[in-house]
This record gives sequence, structure tokens and C-alpha cells, in this order.
Amino acid sequence: MTATKIENPIIQVDDLKFYYPGNARALHGINLSFPEKQVTALIGPSGCGKSTLIRCFNRMNDLIDSCRVEGEIFLEGENIYGRRTDIIELRRKVGMVFQKSNPFPKSIYENVIYGLRIAGEKDKKLFDERVESSLKAAALWDEVKDRLQESALGLSGGQMQRLCIARAIAVNPKVILMDEPCSALDPKSTARVEETIKELRNDYTIIIVTHNMQQAARVSDFTAFLFEGNLIEFGVTDQLFVKPQNKQTEDYITGRFG
Amino acid sequence: MNPAFLNKIKRNDRIARWVITIGGLAIIFSVIFILILIAKVSLPLFLSPDKDLYASFQLNADSAADKIVALGMDEYLETGYTIDQTGKFEFFSVVDGAVLDVEQIVSETGSSRLISAQSYGRLKHVLIWDDGSLTINQVSFFSSFDEKSNNHRTIRHRIEQLATFPAPAGDMPIQSLARVDEEGRRVRVDLFQDGTLQATVVEESESLFGDAELVETTQPLEVASTGHISAMSLSTAGDKLYAGTDQGEILRWDLSAGEKPVLEEVTQAFSDQREITALNMVFGDISLIVGDCQGGLTTWFPVRNTESGWKLTKIHTLRGHSQPIDYVSPTLHDKSVVSSAGDGMQLSHMTSERFLVGISPTEEKISRYALTTRGNGVITLSDNGRIVSWKLHIPHPEISLKTLFGKVWYEGYAEPTYSWQSSASTDDYEAKLSLTPLIFGTLKGTFYAMLFALPLAIFGAIYTSQFARPKFKGIIKPAVEVMAAVPTVIIGFLAALWLAPLIERSLGSMFLSLILIPAALMISIALWQAARKIETLKQIERGYEFLVIAPVLIMAVAIAIVLGSGLEHWLFDGDLKQWLFTETGTHYDPRNCIIIAFAMGFAVIPIIFTISEDALSNVPPSLKAASLALGASRWQTVWRVILPSASPGIFAGTMIGFGRAVGETMIVLMATGNTAIMDLSIFNGMRPLSANIAVEIPEAPVDGTLYRTLFLTAVILFVMTFIVNTVAEIVRQRLRAKYGRF
Repeated sequence: MTATKIENPIIQVDDLKFYYPGNARALHGINLSFPEKQVTALIGPSGCGKSTLIRCFNRMNDLIDSCRVEGEIFLEGENIYGRRTDIIELRRKVGMVFQKSNPFPKSIYENVIYGLRIAGEKDKKLFDERVESSLKAAALWDEVKDRLQESALGLSGGQMQRLCIARAIAVNPKVILMDEPCSALDPKSTARVEETIKELRNDYTIIIVTHNMQQAARVSDFTAFLFEGNLIEFGVTDQLFVKPQNKQTEDYITGRFG
Repeated sequence: MNPAFLNKIKRNDRIARWVITIGGLAIIFSVIFILILIAKVSLPLFLSPDKDLYASFQLNADSAADKIVALGMDEYLETGYTIDQTGKFEFFSVVDGAVLDVEQIVSETGSSRLISAQSYGRLKHVLIWDDGSLTINQVSFFSSFDEKSNNHRTIRHRIEQLATFPAPAGDMPIQSLARVDEEGRRVRVDLFQDGTLQATVVEESESLFGDAELVETTQPLEVASTGHISAMSLSTAGDKLYAGTDQGEILRWDLSAGEKPVLEEVTQAFSDQREITALNMVFGDISLIVGDCQGGLTTWFPVRNTESGWKLTKIHTLRGHSQPIDYVSPTLHDKSVVSSAGDGMQLSHMTSERFLVGISPTEEKISRYALTTRGNGVITLSDNGRIVSWKLHIPHPEISLKTLFGKVWYEGYAEPTYSWQSSASTDDYEAKLSLTPLIFGTLKGTFYAMLFALPLAIFGAIYTSQFARPKFKGIIKPAVEVMAAVPTVIIGFLAALWLAPLIERSLGSMFLSLILIPAALMISIALWQAARKIETLKQIERGYEFLVIAPVLIMAVAIAIVLGSGLEHWLFDGDLKQWLFTETGTHYDPRNCIIIAFAMGFAVIPIIFTISEDALSNVPPSLKAASLALGASRWQTVWRVILPSASPGIFAGTMIGFGRAVGETMIVLMATGNTAIMDLSIFNGMRPLSANIAVEIPEAPVDGTLYRTLFLTAVILFVMTFIVNTVAEIVRQRLRAKYGRF
């Protein structure tokens, strides 16, 4: 395992072990640091623990009954598994985009401001501003600006996924987690979403789980390769894909298994 | 693929499609068929009455029309009779006029010439002889069946003399009325040329030694009127006398047994002082039929008034005639009114104010008429001596949209009301068939049941599907579903015999718990904010909340039970029910809406709960995850995302529960008290449509008015549930389009 040193990481994972119900260990002690305002891709074969890991960052795993976490994750220096952590506060800092787009059965406008509404925000002007800026950031504004009050369910798959990104951005998170955001999209939509991700890296830290190595190579600055619950290799994307340090990494990215 | 196998698949597909199509159509058709069956029974209620010319013949010249003073007919429309001025009863065949029998009647005093005759009751005739004496004669018909000649029906007749009255001393009266009641009390009223009125009462009185002797008292009646008496009517029992004047006044005397005759009231009935030309009493002797010189036909009865006691009040206005009314009379089996004038005779129903049938002469004026006792036929005599008989088909004269749904002023009531009182012990009862209180009762019971059931079922479903541990959900859901399997007769039985007395005993505790339970919840939530700082207690929030809440609720109820009676003593002088009655005038019925809310709620909760729970559980987890990932709390997620997405299902569950409550019979039958009142108060009962059918159908004669009305209520119930379900489906589709599924 290589040690690509990250200065001032926004997320630092220390010896993270994760147990699913029935004491099935899915992560065997991950140590990893994520650089701020960069795109980090998590790659690895199915079942390697990528999604489990990413879901630890906003504690979505809490929804699973009787799962268990050992080790620590620091977000801006604070342990998110500590006693004082407010999960709601945490999730506002760490947004998430899911594998399958999941807009609420509400209007496009309401979808974007949902995060603001539940935070008790009532300022109409702020809503309008946020809707515009978020949709622009998610490269959706031009397509939907005339039908903001229409149901989000009328959008295409790619548009829905970008709406979900806009929804995550609207609450101004520090980190955006993306769990295979393009796996259900066609190539054209995928390209749009990837462009969006590239745009967002200036303002947000993005952690993206992907099965698609070309995608990881295209959009990410750093890449971590996980295998069977262990971090195998982490490094700058260009280096990792060109000169993998580890045999397993090389086998995976050259397509010998996966 | 093997072509044979492919064919098999296709064939199975076709068969399945046919089976499903046929099954679906069969269901639709059977529902429609049931509706048609029910509607078919109730439809004759709205058929219009009809008359058929039955027979017509010319009387012999020697029994000329002007000599005939009265006529009548049996209810089989076979034998008719005429009474002529010589006191001769001539029985004839209605069909061809062939004379069957002749009987001669003479008066007690030997007079054999009649001045006039009046008919009342069941073929009773008051014969007024030319010497001033009266006899009351009744004609009876008997039918017998001869077994030898193919069960041929023969009608025999008999004339009976019920009472005789001697002539009054002094002048000859210009008009006389007479009645005899079942105890033999005879009343005779005479109007004389000078406008004086005199009543003669003959009744049996027991002397000191136990001997019965007849006592005759003759007294003048006070006539406090400006006009001349132009019409008079005496009730069947001879205890009430009415007179109308040519100045539009109605006078009312009381001639009850054992009391001095007294003029009770003089009422200016018509402000335009039109002459009253005909008076008679409706069957039952409560309402007075008034015919006037302008052809107007109205009915009146005394209504109690706070200032002036009983006051004659105009109740119904029936369709009038174009000429002054000559004569009015009641029918003998219902509240219909027969009237005749120059333009013919007609039949109307008092309660429904419906015009039933009219018989207008073509060229001959009707001079006499008589109805059969069952009201199924009428026989008329024209000026020219032609006897015409008609068959009448008047299936349900008392039914009109107004009597079914509107406010009706029933006999003896102080004001028009919505009332359901379908039958009573007497034949002359005015049936009160307003469906409004029943529809009201259905809606009221449903409202209170839903008020209780909806929050419990929906919040229960939310908790079970979104908050409780899956382990508990696996217990709670089947347990609630078992509730639906409890027979409603058992729920009703428990509600009526266990819950009703319990709540009646501990009304104070019940209301106290309504306050204490929410209060206890609030307090425990406040306390919990402090307790949840402890990590182990915080774990309870993950689906074990009810372990904390349940004891709190039980405690609250326990405290309410302990404090309840004390509270009643302290605030309500020991008895909340009494206090309600004296302070607010609310009467507490032991079978009331509280009981119904609990009992029917118990029956409805499982349906709403199950369907809502399914709908909530079926909201895609990805939506929940999306909401939580945006920093929403569990409650915010439920309120803003899960509930709207599940709303079509919850709405469907609510409406199915509503439909169930509307149609629910056994619980309401046993626990409502079945009082058909229109009162929103939670402290009294109601009578819903469904229970009404169950209560009354065993007593309703097949094809009678009540029977058909009950079927009409079934149609209404059917239509109500149909509307509810249709609206529910439309709303559900809309919600579905709005919160579309993934």
C-alpha cells in the first residue's frame, strides 16, 4: 500500500472497520485521506466495500439495523462517529447522490429547495437564488428554467440525476458523495453528468464510487482502489492508471478481473 | 423454441385472458343486477296512480236519480247498493245493474220518508227521516267461498241498525249530524233555522245501585260567530264538532263524554272571509278537511300555541277545484281526501299533498259517490241516473319526494319535522317516512367513527411502517389484521352490553383521559429531551419508543379512572350527565356516538391501518434515503416525502374504511339505540340506513309502502357507497398522477 501524502485532508479515515449484521466484516481497517476540492474516485470490483465506505461518510449506514463501526472518520478534524456528532448537521455538510436518481414526487423547484426547507429556511428570494445557482452548477438550468413548477418525475433519466446533484448542492455541502451516479444512464447523459462533476470540483470535494474505470480516469484527480474490504492503492489518478504500484491494481485496471 | 411449447404458452395466455375478462364482467354484471333487483322493488313507490272504468249502467226510470240519497259498494266491486228516499236499500250487481235484493227500512217512529242521508265510516249511513228522527244503519258485506262450485265467491250482505234518535222537540232542524261510538254513546247535533245549535247526548250511566240507565241531555251550543254556519263535521266517535261559516270562520266544540259541551275555539280561517262549503275529518279524526267556495282544499288541526293554547292551523294545501267544493270526505284506510265539486271529484293524499286521481264528468254531473272501504274502487251516481264504477290503483299515495326527504308537518306535531316513524299500533296512524334522519344518522355515525379511527389507524400505520423495528412490525400488523376478523356482532354486543354501561358509569374519567393522555404524552416528550442525553436511553429511539409511551398512556388512563369520579363531584355536582342536562340541556343517551366511535372505529381501524401501512411501506426506500441524506429528520422525511408519496394508498384505505362504516349494520344496530333523531350531539344515538333496514324489514308487509321504502333506502345506501367509491377512485388517480410511482 502506497502512501500518497495528502496535506490538510477534508476527510481522514483511521483504521475503519465496518460490520454488517451478523458480524460480517465488510471493511478491514481502512486508512485514507481525501483532499479538499478534488475529485476522488473509489474503484474496485463488486462487493469490495466502496459503497459501504462512502456511506460511512454521511452515516447512511445507520439506517441498517445492528451494524457496527470501529475506527474513526474525521471531517475537518472532527470525528463523525463521536458522541457529540449531530447526524443531521453531518448530512448537511456531506451531501449524497445515489446510484438511481431519486427525485421527490414534487416540482423541480421544490426538489432543489427541499434541503433548505427542512432546515427551516423560508426566504423566498434565497430559494430563487439557490434554485438558479444549483441548477446552473448542475448544468440543468437551461433545460428546465421554464418549467420549474412542473413535476420532477417528467424529466429524463440524465436530467433527474443532475437534478439530484443540484438538490445536493443547494444546501452548500462541503463534500458530495456520489454512489455510481451514472450507472443507470445512457452514454450521452453520462457525459453530461461527468462534465457537471468536472465543473463542481472547483467548489466542492467530490468522492465518487464508480465501476467504470474510464470514468474514474476521466473525472477524478485521485483514485483509491479497494479490494475485498481493503484499500489496495491510493494515488493521483494519472499515476495510478499509468503506473499502478500494486499487482492487484494493475490486474483490475487492465481488466483481468472485476 | 419448440413450436408446440410456444403454442401452449400462447393458448394458456388466451385462456387466462378469457377467464379474467369473463370473471370481471361477471362481477360488474352481478353488481348491476343486484342494483336493478333492489331498484325494481322500490320503483313502484313512484308510479302514478291510475283509474280504470269498471262498469257503467243506467238506473231504471222508477228509481230516478233525484230520489237516491246515498250509495255504496263492496270492496270486491261486485255488489253495490242505493238508498232512496223511501228508505229502500236496493242491492244490485255493479257490472250490469241487475237487482239482487231489496230491503225496506223504516224509522223508529214509523216514518218512511227520508230527507237526506250522510255516510261515514265503514258504510255507515245516518238517515234523516222527515219527522226529524234519525237512524244510523250500517251495511256489511261478507264473502264466502262455495267449495262445491269451484270455490266460487259469493257476497252476502246485511243491514244493521246501530242507533236511533228521536226527533228534537220544537222546530225541525235544517241540518243534523249523528254518531254512535263503540260503547253506545250517541251524539246528535242539530242546526236550526235561526242559527242555534243544539247537542243531544245519550249515554249509559250507572246508578248508585249498579243499574244501568240511559241518560239523555240536550244542551244548546254556544255559537260565537258573525256568519251563518255553512258546513259541519262531527268526528266518528262524536266527541269533536267543527263548523264552518260563510264568513270563513271555523268553530270547534268539545263534546267529550262526561263533560259539558264547550266551544273551544273560533278561528278566522281565511282572511278574505270566503265561505266554507264543506267540512269533514280525515281518517283518524285529527285533521279537518276544509273545502271553500273558491274551490280551495286545505287540511287543519289544532296546534298547541304558547299564548292561546290549542289553535287550529292550516297544515296542508291540496290541489283544489275550479268551482266551489260541494263535499269532502276521508278514505277509510289512509290519510287520503276525496272532494267533489262541479268540475268532478278527485282524490288527494294529505301528508304528501299529492293529487292522486280525478274523475271529471263528461256531460253528466256527479251527484253522489262512494268509495269502497279499501279504497280500491269508487262508484258514482250522475244527475241523469247513470251509475259508473271505477277501479282505482293507488299504490303508495303517501310517498312523494317531499315526504321522503323534506320537512313534513305531521298530525299532532307542533311544526314541520324530518321524522321516521314507520308504523304504530293503530291503523289510522300517519306514517312518517322521512329518509333524511336516516341518511343523517348514517353520516353522523360514520363521521364519529372516522373521527376516532382515522388518526389512530393512520398514525399507527406511520409508526409501524417508518419507526418501529421490523420485529415489532411483524407482530403488530398481523395482530391488527386479526381485529378485522372479529365478527361485528361481537363488537356490537360488547359495545352495547359492556362498553355502554362502563362509559355511562365513568363519563368523567373518559373525558379526563381525553385531556390527560395528550398531556402525559407532552410531558413525557419534554422529559425525554433530558433523558435522551444518556446514550443507552437514546437507543430506544430506534424503534422501541412504544416501550416508553405505553406505560405513560396506561398511567394516564389509570389516573383518569382514579380522579374521574372525584372530578365529577368537584366540578359537576357529582354527576356529569345530570350537569349536562341541567346546564346545557343535553340529554345523555347510554347508547351514543361515543360508543359508536369506539365500536365502529374498532371495526374500521384494521382496514385503514392495513392499506395505509402497505402504502407507506411501499414508498421506495431511495426516497427516504434521499431525504435523510439531505439532513432531514425522520419525522420531516415522513411528513414531506413518505406521506405525500403514500397518499393515494392512504386515501384509498380511508375511503374503503368510510364505505365500510356507511354500510356497517350489526354494530350500529346493537349500539346506537336506533333513535331516528337529527341531532349532532355526541351524547345521543342515531338510526343509520343500514340498521333501519335490519330493524324494520321483518315487520314490513311484502310490497307494502314500508317494504318498498326500505328497499329505496337500500338503493340510497348503494348509491352513497357508489359515489364515495367513485370519488375516492378519481381522487386516488389524481394523487397517483401527482405523486407518481417509481
